[in-house]
Amino acid sequence: MKLTIDIIKKMLRVVLATRDDEINCDECYQRIESFAEIKLSGKSAEEAMPLVEDHLQRCKDCREEYEVLLEALQAIKK
Amino acid sequence: MLEWFKNKKGKGPEPPYTNEQWLELLSKPANERAVGELRRLLIRGLKPALHKYVDRELDQFVEDVAQDGLIKILDNLDTFRGESKFMTWAMKIAVREGLTELRRKRWQNISIEDLKGGPEGDESKEIFSETFASADISPEQATAQKMAVEKIEDMIDEILTNRQREAMKAILIHNMPISIVAKQMDTNRNNMYKLLYDARKKLKNELEVQGIDPEKLLDELSE
Repeated sequence: MKLTIDIIKKMLRVVLATRDDEINCDECYQRIESFAEIKLSGKSAEEAMPLVEDHLQRCKDCREEYEVLLEALQAIKK
Repeated sequence: MLEWFKNKKGKGPEPPYTNEQWLELLSKPANERAVGELRRLLIRGLKPALHKYVDRELDQFVEDVAQDGLIKILDNLDTFRGESKFMTWAMKIAVREGLTELRRKRWQNISIEDLKGGPEGDESKEIFSETFASADISPEQATAQKMAVEKIEDMIDEILTNRQREAMKAILIHNMPISIVAKQMDTNRNNMYKLLYDARKKLKNELEVQGIDPEKLLDELSE
């Protein structure tokens, strides 16, 4: 396994995006249902809960869970 | 767990339920119709949402996930804080059950150990050695890029712990799910996030100490 420029760039981007007020996965999990409901109501969840949005941008697992949750909730609304 | 279902109470309000009704109906002894309604809604939501993640036997997989999710939901009713609709909260639990199982299956034969390359004890050098494939840049640019990459590699080798390097490699380079890496490294997802956060902070601080502007460096590497 070798480190390519693309991987270095990926690392630099995540390093650059590091901030002091990040929330962790548990905190995101506790708030994600509210975030999803705001989104489903057509309002800006990103603006209402920026720290959750920030976590979702940097954590692939949480992002995936959020996207599946959103799709599942949309399905039961129909 | 079986006692939830042993004590059946069929009577009660008709769905759709309010949050209060859900909590009341699902509390021990659980109302059979409410449990059935919860399972039905979980399946109805999970099936289209998990469709693209499951290669075969989607129905059976979703049934299993709904059942496991149901048990977890009933076991954790006291943690529902009422800040959302009950079904949103319940679906969140079932979704995590489903994706956790899918991730476990997908990565069950791959360990972090497998991701290591190079001679024993020297994997960091091997992992973080550079590869330059582009023929579209000038020799001067190539030299500048090579130096920049070496600097970052040295930084990673010098200031990160072995665990931080291993975790970054698995998650950032190999795209392993954080939950899988956490399990393989005998910790939990939250602690793994903290480990990565600390690694990112260390690298960010070190770049600052060395007077390297990461944005400028990114631009140079993108030329």
